[in-house]
Amino acid sequence: MLDVNINKDLGDFHLNVEFQVESGIIGILGPSGCGKSLTLQAIAGLLTPDTGRIAIGERTLFDTEQKVNIPTRQRNVGYVFQNYALFPHLTVAENIGYGLKGLPKQEVQKQVDDILETVQLKGLAKRYPNELSGGQQQRVALARTLVTKPDILLLDEPFSALDQHVKKMLELELLEIIKHNFSGVVLFVTHNIEEAYRLCDYICLYDCGRNIQFGKKVDVLRQPVNKAAARIVGCENIYEIDSYEGHFVTVGGLQLKTANTDAQEGKYVGIHSYDVTFVTDENDCTTNTFRFDVRNIVEGIDHSTITVTVGDLIFKVDVRKDNVKQITAGDTLLYLPPEKIFLLGV
Amino acid sequence: MDQINLFPLYLSLRVALTATVITIFIGLPIAYYLSRSRGRFADFLDTVITLPIVLPPTVLGYYLLVLLGRQSSIGSFLEERFNIMIVFTPTGAIIAATVVSIPFLIKSAKAAFLGIDQNVVNAARVLGRTELNIFLTITVPLAWRGIAAGITLGFARALGDFGTTLMVAGSIPNQTMTMPIAIYDALLAGNRELANILVFIMTAVSLLVLYTINRLEKRVSKGVAK
Repeated sequence: MLDVNINKDLGDFHLNVEFQVESGIIGILGPSGCGKSLTLQAIAGLLTPDTGRIAIGERTLFDTEQKVNIPTRQRNVGYVFQNYALFPHLTVAENIGYGLKGLPKQEVQKQVDDILETVQLKGLAKRYPNELSGGQQQRVALARTLVTKPDILLLDEPFSALDQHVKKMLELELLEIIKHNFSGVVLFVTHNIEEAYRLCDYICLYDCGRNIQFGKKVDVLRQPVNKAAARIVGCENIYEIDSYEGHFVTVGGLQLKTANTDAQEGKYVGIHSYDVTFVTDENDCTTNTFRFDVRNIVEGIDHSTITVTVGDLIFKVDVRKDNVKQITAGDTLLYLPPEKIFLLGV
Repeated sequence: MDQINLFPLYLSLRVALTATVITIFIGLPIAYYLSRSRGRFADFLDTVITLPIVLPPTVLGYYLLVLLGRQSSIGSFLEERFNIMIVFTPTGAIIAATVVSIPFLIKSAKAAFLGIDQNVVNAARVLGRTELNIFLTITVPLAWRGIAAGITLGFARALGDFGTTLMVAGSIPNQTMTMPIAIYDALLAGNRELANILVFIMTAVSLLVLYTINRLEKRVSKGVAK
């Protein structure tokens, strides 16, 4: 159980976040410089908030009202830094043993050996960090933290320093290691929605120093609360609502059916580019189908993104490459499934 | 040829070594402080510490005389209370050598401390170590190249000082006459042969010391070099 409620004034930037989680992996998602890492630093005690409270379970780490501020070294927090921050002058074994000061030498040796086995780095104990690959460094950083049996695990963009082609493989590996060796709350900072979606149970959206939404990953992706949240989860099709009528909203002259019975909650509507589809027969769906003009096509590896216009509105649509020809031939209609359309607050 | 008096060599090494040790103990904390603080006082301190590099050695010697001489409050206090004399003593030579060499260590170590990735230090904090422990196990080893360079430069400066030492400690044979002064003295006396020998010894000793420190630096910084 993690309880975070902190305020920090950093001149031109205000950090103001509040959330509670019971357990699981929580993805902190947001653009660069929105305070994600600062939150981790505050939890670890590397940054002192102006006001607020941080508690893990029954243990209060920071509380301005009770005047509690436990120093970093006593917080028992596990932190994996963005560039791993391994000690370059110490071997892998020395790095991992660094947090075990005070234990008898044999015990340290045993624990280091055990954790090296867990992260599959058995033969590399005597190597220096600069002799390891990025993925191996990541595992050393994780092992160095896990061996201290922390109450919480903080991961600051652990994949940003890695090559694209090894990322996905290592994601799975990291997830396995964490799931088998750690039972507390994991905070995972990232700016990649797909990474967050693959690895996390919950997603916490950040924008300009505030957390604007917290929830199960599916809910956050499917129902972002506002325009900023929709943008962060990767939605490119967002339109201002002109008028409402029951299920229906009017945007840029088009009448759209939504799944919400009371569409008045929203100020904008949005739909993910991968939720927009094309239909061949007008009779299939009569609502939310429109004639369109193709503006341009950006080719991806297995998907292409087609930009189409319907009246004054521009839609971005992801389609399988096999279907591009058929769609651009002119005998299809754009279809916006009502259940995929979400309403956004301000 | 007369027996060469090796006292100046002995004194020079003693003065330079002692000054270097003092420099490390005083200089490293100051360098660390300067690398952490951005305040006005830190800027002021930084400027004052750089002064010995810029000022002519004689000017520096003059300041030291004014500050520590028998007429000064510090000088008379030390003399009355502890019977310590600074001017015209080896102690004075050590103080002079310390003052001229300390900026080199501080400058070099400060730059090295600034070059350390703060995340690495933060990682050590998160892993439960105390600040002093982190300074000794992480900060100093990571900054070791810069520190070693500073020690080397400082030692060389201390060993070679002429002007400041002469002003503060004088050139009393077998008491305060260091190698550089002895060489000057030999040359003034027209003893070319002695001057040559002393210059040769001085060069050889300097080379040996610098080479040793270089080797030492390589060994300690293993793994740090990328």
